[in-house]
Amino acid sequence: MGAKLNGQAYTTAAVKQFRFKEKYTLFLMALPFLVLVFLFAYLPLYGWIYAFYDYRPGIPLSQTEFVGLQWFTSLVSNPYQMEEVLRVLRNTFAISTLGILTSVLPVIFAIFLMEIKSPSFKKIVQTLTTLPNFISWVLVYSFAFMLFSVDNGFLNNLLMNMGLIERPLNILASDNHTWLSMTLWGVWKGLGWGAILYIAAITGIDPELYEAARVDGAGRFRLMWHVTVPGIMPTFFVLLILGIAGFINNGFEQYFVFSNAMNMSKIEVLDLYVYNVGVVNNNFGFATAVSILKSIVSLILLFAANSLSKLVRGEGVI
Amino acid sequence: MGVNNRITIFDIINYTLFALFTLACFFPFYYLFINTISSNDLSSRGLVMFYPQEIHFNNYIEVFKIPGLGQATFVSFARTVIGTLLTVAASGFLGYLFSKPTMWGRKFWYRFLIATMYFNAGLIPWFLIMLKLGLFNNFLAYVVPGIVSPFFIILVKTFVESTPISLQESAQLDGAGNMTIFWKIVMPLITPILATIAIFTAIGQWNSFQDTLFLVTDSNLFTLQFILYRYFNGATSLATLMQSGASDTNLANIQTATSIRTTISMVVVIPILLVYPFFQRFFVKGIMIGAVKG
Amino acid sequence: MTKRKKWTTAAFAIIAMFVFLSACSGSAGSNSGSNKGNNAGTEVSTDPSQQSEITLNVFSNLANYAGEQPGWFAKLVKDKFNIKLNIISGGQQKASTMMAAGDLGDIAVAIDIKDAIKAGLLLDWNKDGLLDKYGPALKEYAGESLEANSKQYGGGTAVYAVGNNIGSGDGPSEGAKMTYGPMLRWDLYQQLGSPEIKTLEDYLAVIKQMQELSPKSDSGKPVYGFSLWSDWDGVMSVNVKAMGQFYGFNEGDGFNIAELMMTKADEAKWQGVLDEDSYYMRGLKFFFEANKMGLLDPDSLTQKFPDVVNKYTDGQVLFAQFPWLTDGYNTEDRLSAGKGFAFVPFTEEKVFSSGYNPYGGTWHWVIGAKTKHPERVMQFMNWLYSPEGVQEATAGPKGLTWDIVDGKPTLTEFGYQAVSNSVDMPAEYGGGKFSDGGNKINNSTLTTSMINPETGEPYDYTMWSSYLNNKPDPVTKSWREAMGAVTMKDYVVKNNKVAVQPPYFSEQAKAEEPSDIKQKKAEVGKVIKEYSWKMMFAKDDNEFASLKEAMVTKAKGLGYDDVIKFQVDNYEKTVGAALKK
Repeated sequence: MGAKLNGQAYTTAAVKQFRFKEKYTLFLMALPFLVLVFLFAYLPLYGWIYAFYDYRPGIPLSQTEFVGLQWFTSLVSNPYQMEEVLRVLRNTFAISTLGILTSVLPVIFAIFLMEIKSPSFKKIVQTLTTLPNFISWVLVYSFAFMLFSVDNGFLNNLLMNMGLIERPLNILASDNHTWLSMTLWGVWKGLGWGAILYIAAITGIDPELYEAARVDGAGRFRLMWHVTVPGIMPTFFVLLILGIAGFINNGFEQYFVFSNAMNMSKIEVLDLYVYNVGVVNNNFGFATAVSILKSIVSLILLFAANSLSKLVRGEGVI
Repeated sequence: MGVNNRITIFDIINYTLFALFTLACFFPFYYLFINTISSNDLSSRGLVMFYPQEIHFNNYIEVFKIPGLGQATFVSFARTVIGTLLTVAASGFLGYLFSKPTMWGRKFWYRFLIATMYFNAGLIPWFLIMLKLGLFNNFLAYVVPGIVSPFFIILVKTFVESTPISLQESAQLDGAGNMTIFWKIVMPLITPILATIAIFTAIGQWNSFQDTLFLVTDSNLFTLQFILYRYFNGATSLATLMQSGASDTNLANIQTATSIRTTISMVVVIPILLVYPFFQRFFVKGIMIGAVKG
Repeated sequence: MTKRKKWTTAAFAIIAMFVFLSACSGSAGSNSGSNKGNNAGTEVSTDPSQQSEITLNVFSNLANYAGEQPGWFAKLVKDKFNIKLNIISGGQQKASTMMAAGDLGDIAVAIDIKDAIKAGLLLDWNKDGLLDKYGPALKEYAGESLEANSKQYGGGTAVYAVGNNIGSGDGPSEGAKMTYGPMLRWDLYQQLGSPEIKTLEDYLAVIKQMQELSPKSDSGKPVYGFSLWSDWDGVMSVNVKAMGQFYGFNEGDGFNIAELMMTKADEAKWQGVLDEDSYYMRGLKFFFEANKMGLLDPDSLTQKFPDVVNKYTDGQVLFAQFPWLTDGYNTEDRLSAGKGFAFVPFTEEKVFSSGYNPYGGTWHWVIGAKTKHPERVMQFMNWLYSPEGVQEATAGPKGLTWDIVDGKPTLTEFGYQAVSNSVDMPAEYGGGKFSDGGNKINNSTLTTSMINPETGEPYDYTMWSSYLNNKPDPVTKSWREAMGAVTMKDYVVKNNKVAVQPPYFSEQAKAEEPSDIKQKKAEVGKVIKEYSWKMMFAKDDNEFASLKEAMVTKAKGLGYDDVIKFQVDNYEKTVGAALKK
């Protein structure tokens, strides 16, 4: 008995010893990479101090005007200014919400693409639908202009020839459905590309699961619903949570090229606003201040979304 | 099997929808392409719509005449290959490490990593750090900062966690170390996601020009995208000149013709199109490996 | 086995590539110091071309090009100075990073010199008697500019910069074509019997008739009077602003930061852009009326500048605010067929013009404090400001594209073809088109409409008598007969239709823009831009009026008055006060 106990104790200790060692081995293996993260992502954060100065490149901070919270408070300095910021936030939220709603489209795209039997058709679809992702927004706009311009635009020519309209429509210069059309352009450009992730996830699903379900007499849709969907859910949730955290980062290029006087009040998202007010004027202090606010909001959203996921699905992603 | 060969209404709808969407994605690209090989005169008047007219290749010849293109193509190729290899290897490895609950402080370090996706220090601090690290006019500036990419690590971790843990455990019992498990067990399982990351990184590397713009002044290290971007953006400087009320009679000559701008985009995209099918094999292959094992 | 071999080969290839590239970047890293061998350039030979070869890093905010200077200009500089130029192209953000890094390279162009001096990034040209020893032409032809810069920025002792576009004399400093038009389709205007145009608004009726004469463009598309674009707008519409420029008012005052006001070139008069009777408002009304008459291209709002260029080229537009817009239409073929744009002024017109400025413009040339070759940089800059350098940079290498014939500068046969980019330059001059091989720094030194003391004619070859008299096309001929002048510049000067802005000098540098004013200006500018376009395309007079009111209310709410007050104060104290005298 004693011998047995001894043996057990020995084993446990060994396992403990092993676990203890592994704990740090794993960390040490990750360490060099974490150092890189620190160097490239954390170290530059000292620049956040510019948000409190009227920073001018090259001039030491000691000789720079300290403005305190001016850049932060300037966002809400008077009713007109507040109205501007609210409008910008409204646009940001609307477009982001639509973006999150359409984030299921790549999932559907991937699932249904798997139902295409002809390998060559599948390959062609998969290749060609990624094309829009490779064309810069500037060129996308010049294509959109060709399609929708009043003067000799493809669509207007078509509709006029068919006698459906009498006067050409100025689609690009309209503020109707700006949020929706921006979302649709985004979907068009990103759908095929975004689906790659889910295609990869589907590829990783154990084929045995399909076989087993088939043996149970499951049809095509039940296979999709009971095998494919659960298989890609983890990926979808991770992306969803990252998407929620990125709620206020719409990027600016797309909105910049599509913006004009008529749709400006609907299209100006936060990133475009910072560009218009801060970057164009070389106002580093202001741009940094907004960037800090954005980081804070994003991190709060990230952890909130993660907690929500824990509550709903029983597990978080981070 | 027999069941699957029947063509159902679902198939018809499915094929049709995919065909339509594919067309919607392909047509603009096709349209831009036929405009680059059609007479520039017709093209600028918007007369080339569905098929090329008065075919010529002068636009491409013009673009290939841009000085320094050869060296730049080599640099772009090098950064794409090296950068992709490094990023894929690091993402796979770190994704695997972070899937291990035993790692010391795993949760903290994982969040330490992911948080970086959501903040941005701004151009100047970033630039000064790069300068201090000796990454000015240095090829490493293209590949090192991208090695650790939180987004890819998350993808790999999620993927690893969805693979059966039993394989890793049994290998561990056989006395395999972490590296062996990673190479022999985990890597083959996560090929599809690594292929995805490879595509994403390669495209990102191939298309990037911002780092060259700020960090490189030596023309031996210029990338293809940078040279083309400079060419593409002639109009921006024109606007600047105009704002300041310059009185140069030849201002309009600075404008890069639309035809050249479109051609430049084609020159960038076509190599991607040629390489892309190669990556697609990995998605199919993943299924095959699984199937054989099954 | 074979598989392993493959992998090994691949690994080797990659390692080899890595090593190669690191070596490559290693040498690049020490680029500026790559001439350690020549004692940091202290030995300066009397014959500059006999010195060892060096590469100068030139940062230009105006350059469209990055990399080594190509073509014939590179050959000129190499032959004369054994210098290669590595052009670093700019952009606001790029400039900011270079300033932050504290190194502007050997030469920099069009940067914010006030901050650069404060940050200690510029070389003092008076140090070690650099300017005296190596800058005789600079002192001779740009002396006043050097002195002015010294007083403004160098405390009267140090010289950190020289201005661009330096000239002296009376009258407009522009070339044969001025900067602002307006230009009309001369053939159609002649067909209408050249009706008299008294005031800006009179163009509308004339253009309407021209549109009826020519309703379709060459490719059968509709013809408009005006086609505008918004992608160049700063704090207001560039195209609307041009209407003020016809009346002698320009944005700002040429010295202070003053973008929300327009000032008269030659009188102490200013207008806020939102003033009820400002020319900007009048311009908005003008385009609004044009739109009501079906003369304004409905795509003006959404198209970008390149689309507008295409429309001019196709003949879809009849009116041009800026003379250079017409280059696409005025091709040799069309001109010899008698079709083309030409200058058609209105009676009230006083086109805005910059006078010759001995102090130079604000796109300064400076030398980086960290340069290893101050003497040789100075030698090169001296040449850029010498008659010989200006002449060759403008018209190409002497003997190749131009020469003195019968005592007058004349483009050679080859030169005429080369400057129109219809033939390539010879291989020993780097080949390529003439324009591709020109000075990529893209900044001026001496004003090219000045008389070259060595030839007795302007530097600008388009103003040479030989060029003007070289086979004029039917459009030019007819225009000259009708107007009684040789060029547009000639006409506006003879008929007193030009408002020339005199040079302004102050020992004090311009006032700095406080941070809150800067931000208010950005917000207000956004509102003005947005509403300007809405007003031009308003459906009726009521909508026009209500949009105007909304614009003014919103702009004022965002601080328009504060910005104007800041700008006017500066103007009154400086340029305005000088004009009153």
